[in-house]
Amino acid sequence: MRKYGPGGVLLAPAVLVAVVFSIVPLIYLVRVSLTSESTFFFASPENTLDNYRTIWNRYLPHVWTTIRLATAASFFDLIFGFPFAYILVRKIQYRDVVRVLMIFPLFGPLYLTYGLRFVFGANGPLAPLLDFLGLDSRTLLFAYPEQLTIIGMAIFTFPFMVMNIAAALTNVDPTLEEAARTLGAKPRQVLTRVLLPLSWPGILAGFLMCFGWNLGVFIVAMLLGNIEQQRVLSLTLYQKAMSQFDYGLGAAMGIVLMALAFSVTWLSLRFSRGALGA
Amino acid sequence: MSAITPTRRLEPRNRLNPGALLSALQHVYIWVWLVIFILPFLTTVVRSLETPQGGYSIEAYRFAWNAFSPNLWISVKLTVATILINLVIAVPAAFAIIRHPVPGKRFVLSALNVSLYTPGAVMGLSLAITYAYLLKIQGTTGGLIAAYTVGTFPLMLVPVIVALRDLPEVYGEAARTLGASRLRTLLRIELPLLGPGISAGILLTFVIVFNEFLVTLFIAGKSDQPAALVIYGLLGRAGFAPSTAALAAIMQFTSFMVVLLFFKVFGSRYLKGTYLG
Repeated sequence: MRKYGPGGVLLAPAVLVAVVFSIVPLIYLVRVSLTSESTFFFASPENTLDNYRTIWNRYLPHVWTTIRLATAASFFDLIFGFPFAYILVRKIQYRDVVRVLMIFPLFGPLYLTYGLRFVFGANGPLAPLLDFLGLDSRTLLFAYPEQLTIIGMAIFTFPFMVMNIAAALTNVDPTLEEAARTLGAKPRQVLTRVLLPLSWPGILAGFLMCFGWNLGVFIVAMLLGNIEQQRVLSLTLYQKAMSQFDYGLGAAMGIVLMALAFSVTWLSLRFSRGALGA
Repeated sequence: MSAITPTRRLEPRNRLNPGALLSALQHVYIWVWLVIFILPFLTTVVRSLETPQGGYSIEAYRFAWNAFSPNLWISVKLTVATILINLVIAVPAAFAIIRHPVPGKRFVLSALNVSLYTPGAVMGLSLAITYAYLLKIQGTTGGLIAAYTVGTFPLMLVPVIVALRDLPEVYGEAARTLGASRLRTLLRIELPLLGPGISAGILLTFVIVFNEFLVTLFIAGKSDQPAALVIYGLLGRAGFAPSTAALAAIMQFTSFMVVLLFFKVFGSRYLKGTYLG
């Protein structure tokens, strides 16, 4: 079936771009992570494993902060996203409205977090609600950095969770729920015995996808967190490499972060059907 | 007494119906989240219109337009360039993957998608190192376009693959049987039928590239920065000034209008399986 020339020729430009601008840079990243500071750019690089030792000795809390925030935000998405996806798939007619408005977080965390600074800030639109709850809107941003960072991350990744779970729930036959109910199952039993077992690959795929995105958190922690949240790996590696020119340590942090992200991706591809079906 | 007082009976329609209440709560839940999605944008718009005197004006937009329209144009140009390059490399790749036997197809696909799973800061740093050391294109427009291309062409690939898989080969075969050349078949029959899939890829590329700031932060030069990076830079200098808010509002409004236009024209069918579906 060779209609437009061999497949290899058609694939070549894509493979070339991926190799030169994605694979080769990652190989360089590994190489730089094995040199001290910025000596990689000098005539004779100083080879060392010190960067990884430094991460192990001094920056382990940064790794944990990254994992903790990503885990918390992903669970937040899961707990609030499952009901959202269920209602979206089963109950409502205006799905296109939801789909269109759900685009806003996908424009990226920069505008989202920027807007959230106003939302949570003094005299923001939530001020009456916050006053009612006994929270001071003037100090909210400084009083709850951990919670606000997690909420900011969770809003950004919420659509990913909803889309994965909704896709899974669409494939669950609604008559199964009715059958369970007719046979006397309580709502809780319908959930735990019918819905969750049948949709759990989608739930897991959504969770891992959110987790993968949340691991790379940068601007949310920068604008909504304080020193504790700003320890996340993306921010730290930027400061190390681009401000202090310690490329070795920055690259090593990048490798750690990528190892985390890739193991998550590997898991999620195993559990999801995969959009490509390949 | 009780004989005189009429027995009070609730009318059925006044009684609280648990089913209706639950249904109402479900709609409320959805709408609370929809408000959460757009509240940051709406608040940004309100802040951009506020003046220090306590009134409202569009002065911030005039200022943002005068100061940053070059950057907006850079964003538009970078986005268009990336879309064109993505088309040139992703459409043939999709044909190869669906129509041709490629050895190690799964492996090749994974290699093509590596950039999708690389966190932005990691990709930024690795490109910054490679550009400075090997390619000598740090701070150049070409470097930016290359970074955007590698980051987004998998997003062009997915919808085109989906569309191509749905496209029966008989159309092309019929055209060929009727005497059309290969090129003519491709240009007049197959590419038009792939239109919605290709446009979905264009939309995804647009949404990402137009709003990208993180990889850009690592590899862009000090001048001629795209608008999203300008917003990031302003956070440190001008903070939350109305003009910064105005620029953020312009970017989101533009992005939203493009997405709306797409949904109007093509619907959401070919976005399934992608991150906008």
